[in-house]
Amino acid sequence: MELLNKADMGTTGTGMKVSMFVTCIGDAVYPRIAEAMARLLARVGVKLEFPQGQTCCGQPAFNSGYWAEARRSATTLLEAFADSDFVIGPSGSCIGMIHHYPKLFEQDPVRLAMAEDLKAKSYEFTQFLVQVLGVSDLGAVFPHKVTYHPSCHGSRLLGIREEPMTLLHNVKGMELVPLPFAEDCCGFGGTFAVKMADISGAMVTEKADHVLDTSAEVLTGLDMACLMNIAGQLRHRRQPVRVMHLAELLYEGVSGA
Amino acid sequence: MSSVKERADLALNNDFLRKAVRFTTERLRDGKRKAADDHGNWEEWRERGRQIRLHTIAHLDYYLDRFAEQARANGAHVHFASTGAEAVQIALEVAARKEAHTVVKSKSMVSEELHINRALEEAGVEAVETDLGEYIIQLAGEAPSHIIIPAIHKNRYQIAQLLSREAGEELPPETSVLAGFVRRKLRAKFLEADIGMTGCNFAIAETGSIVLFENEGNARMVSTVPKTQITFMGMERIIPSWSDLEVMATLLPRSATGQKLTVYMSGITGPRRTADGDGPEEMHIIILDNGRSEQLGDPEFQELLNCIRCGACLNACPVYRHIGGHAYGGTYSGPIGAVLTPALNKNVAEWDDIASASSLCGACYEACPVKIPLHDMLVYLRRRKVEQGYGNKLETAGMKGFAAVTSNSKRFHRALKAGRVLQRVVVRNGEISARIGPLKGWNRYRVAPSLANQPFRERWDTLQHELRASVAQTVTGAAAQERMKAALHKRAARPIDRKEGHSYDE
Amino acid sequence: MMNNEYNDWLKTKEAEARKKQEQFMDRIAGKLKRSRLREAPEHPFRGAPMYWRELEWSLEERLARFEDNFTAAGGHVARPADLEAAKTYIMAKAQALGARYILRQDDPTLAELGLDEALAATGAKVSVWNGHRSEAWIARAAEADFGIVTADHAVAYTGSLVVQSAAEKGRSVSLLPTTLFAIVPVERLITRLGEVLQTFDAAGREALPAGIHFISGPSRSADIENDLTIGVHGPGIVFALLVG
Repeated sequence: MELLNKADMGTTGTGMKVSMFVTCIGDAVYPRIAEAMARLLARVGVKLEFPQGQTCCGQPAFNSGYWAEARRSATTLLEAFADSDFVIGPSGSCIGMIHHYPKLFEQDPVRLAMAEDLKAKSYEFTQFLVQVLGVSDLGAVFPHKVTYHPSCHGSRLLGIREEPMTLLHNVKGMELVPLPFAEDCCGFGGTFAVKMADISGAMVTEKADHVLDTSAEVLTGLDMACLMNIAGQLRHRRQPVRVMHLAELLYEGVSGA
Repeated sequence: MSSVKERADLALNNDFLRKAVRFTTERLRDGKRKAADDHGNWEEWRERGRQIRLHTIAHLDYYLDRFAEQARANGAHVHFASTGAEAVQIALEVAARKEAHTVVKSKSMVSEELHINRALEEAGVEAVETDLGEYIIQLAGEAPSHIIIPAIHKNRYQIAQLLSREAGEELPPETSVLAGFVRRKLRAKFLEADIGMTGCNFAIAETGSIVLFENEGNARMVSTVPKTQITFMGMERIIPSWSDLEVMATLLPRSATGQKLTVYMSGITGPRRTADGDGPEEMHIIILDNGRSEQLGDPEFQELLNCIRCGACLNACPVYRHIGGHAYGGTYSGPIGAVLTPALNKNVAEWDDIASASSLCGACYEACPVKIPLHDMLVYLRRRKVEQGYGNKLETAGMKGFAAVTSNSKRFHRALKAGRVLQRVVVRNGEISARIGPLKGWNRYRVAPSLANQPFRERWDTLQHELRASVAQTVTGAAAQERMKAALHKRAARPIDRKEGHSYDE
Repeated sequence: MMNNEYNDWLKTKEAEARKKQEQFMDRIAGKLKRSRLREAPEHPFRGAPMYWRELEWSLEERLARFEDNFTAAGGHVARPADLEAAKTYIMAKAQALGARYILRQDDPTLAELGLDEALAATGAKVSVWNGHRSEAWIARAAEADFGIVTADHAVAYTGSLVVQSAAEKGRSVSLLPTTLFAIVPVERLITRLGEVLQTFDAAGREALPAGIHFISGPSRSADIENDLTIGVHGPGIVFALLVG
């Protein structure tokens, strides 16, 4: 019922606390994507916070079986977002990891409650835009041939399928071409790409083949880890396909860059 | 024993194998999707299937006991085997008592677990696989590499060679000729065999019946012609009733091959009746544990027993598609094998080997007709290995370092700064292509991006001021506030979901 | 003597199995952290989803769907108006395919068909399953060009014939001959699989025959390079004659 009180606070004008979860890759490697997300959300009237205590969702450790280590990273998010009303991240996979927190903290009653709370208030960027804000057209213009890779965790585990499509279909001037075998994993899988490098390499090679088959100028998606993987393979093959997170694409489309 | 990595490398360098596996799994995957769509309400059927399996396994002592009693009442001889060796022992005893010379077998994954063919041969009994694919790989001296299509890894030229050797003449690599030869050759075997061995897709508790799904008719042959039938059955194959079979018969063939029903679905209730002119005079049912009961009461793995062995997870798996079934190194391959093999064997030392060969993409879960969260189970296996101290030393050190850096945002920030300095040695045009350290494998197929010159956390102050100026007084601001408020109310009204097991359906 | 010894052995095995069975059940209950379950539990999810149980097609639709499905699986469907027409159909096929030996179930509908005499006149031989108890009937079935059965049911939704075994109705008749004919009186054609399956629950264990077979087309395999081949073990040619 604490949440209801917070909602009421919103009506009194104090506003709600909407926090950015930029993810470790977003912070360290792709700050431009986190920035594009922030600018788009600001355009539709959302006042954002960036709690500096956040680091990483802990997924690399969690998926490799190192749960004690994963809890240490995850705790930074539990604490950084403890008093947030909404937590928005540009990654289906990292938000998906937050959905594992109740399991990760099942032996720790205090953190379990925080984990349930965080799970309930975390949203992937397009999920928040379309489902919560009801925004499906940002007025973006992007006169290019684009193809879209639906990353596994966002689409399969969080069920984010329609949201990015809705946003993409409303971009003016853009030709959206379907990616063959779109739902196949790109082969990233975190430490999988390091431990099983050759299997992962075969998978990303196949994914890049499919991207090239579309002859799209731009590949977009919702997970920068997957995009980093595919972009890395395309660059390795010296292919000029531009790889952009959907937030970047939309922001470029609205700012006329 | 070789590692999954070495076995996968063999497969990755075998272009034919990869093409063959990709071609067939893609067809099966598309067929399954179409069949599920045509049938409609697939999610409701999946959930129904899952519920029936969950219910049966949760009450397995009642249903299994009931099945055994009913099967006995039908005149079958029921045996229980805790291990594969015990099951083999019982089957060999029956064969010896029957003075059997030849055993014909229909496809059975359980019998693959037992390596029964080898045991029979050692006892001087000829064992003949009669499913076309199984027969081919038996001639090749190999194990099946797919649950449904055992010889998925063989091409027609290899098959023609194997069958020509058997025929004593050169057979052309034409499917109809090859299949025709097998029909004639095995027809004679069916008629002369002393014992027919089958597996069991489902066992119906209420009537003590076993149910077999197949397309070729060989399982019918094996259970109609020889005088003695031996059926191997995993202890979890039970469903309560024939009515429940409708759900399984809807899920299994569609998920396996995209068929509405396999060509043959046979319910066998005991040996032949006294006046019958065919069917086995004697029927033995050997019920096998072999690690299955280990999963009971384990909230992370009990659902593994819900598996109906359709192979849909193999066809959906991008890793399986690239490395084929043999790379998994066990009886069961693909995602189900990666979990089932270590789970049944409780072999800690080898857990990570197979469980690591997955990108955790969840395609297996999505394809599974009874919704087994295999991708989660793979993570649980990895965790158990680490918890028991079998983690890779280098990885363990790396993860400790990861936790040290990411458990504190100041340390995290300092690490980013340090990384920025250190990477100068290798960064060219914002990219790293040198195959060094942990990037060795990665950069064989890709280039890596460099760390940004300024992480987001350093950008935020400036950006925040810029944004604040624009947000506060816009009209959309109010609209957004309203929408968010509504979302908060909705969230508060929703009880937190703490049900057992997994849940992604929100 | 050998038989006695064998039966004694079976008894020993049964005693062992029963002991083992108790251990199995105790272990299951122990693993599930509860006491042994002796009574049937309530089963709230039994059978198909509720919406599905209401599906029932008209006869015309059942006939059409059965034909579509059975044909798609590689089977042949004909709709003779009566048994006489069915006989004519089979006679024509026997001639076209050069059938020399025909085996049929011992069933009043098939007796009424009058095939035996009619085919004998063409020089072909017709046998009736289990007619003489001393005959090696399985071997006879393996030699037969045609096997003829009456289906106990047919299912439109899956395109399946259902045949149940009995002394007069050998399992071999629908399995070993090269070609299978199944006479389906149209009133036996139902919509859903579940309509047949639930009758087995209702009948109960003691009423079930040893073999219940759903047949949905010719025997097939795709085990060689996923290339479909027909007739790999069972009949490669299957006719469903929907009579009436």
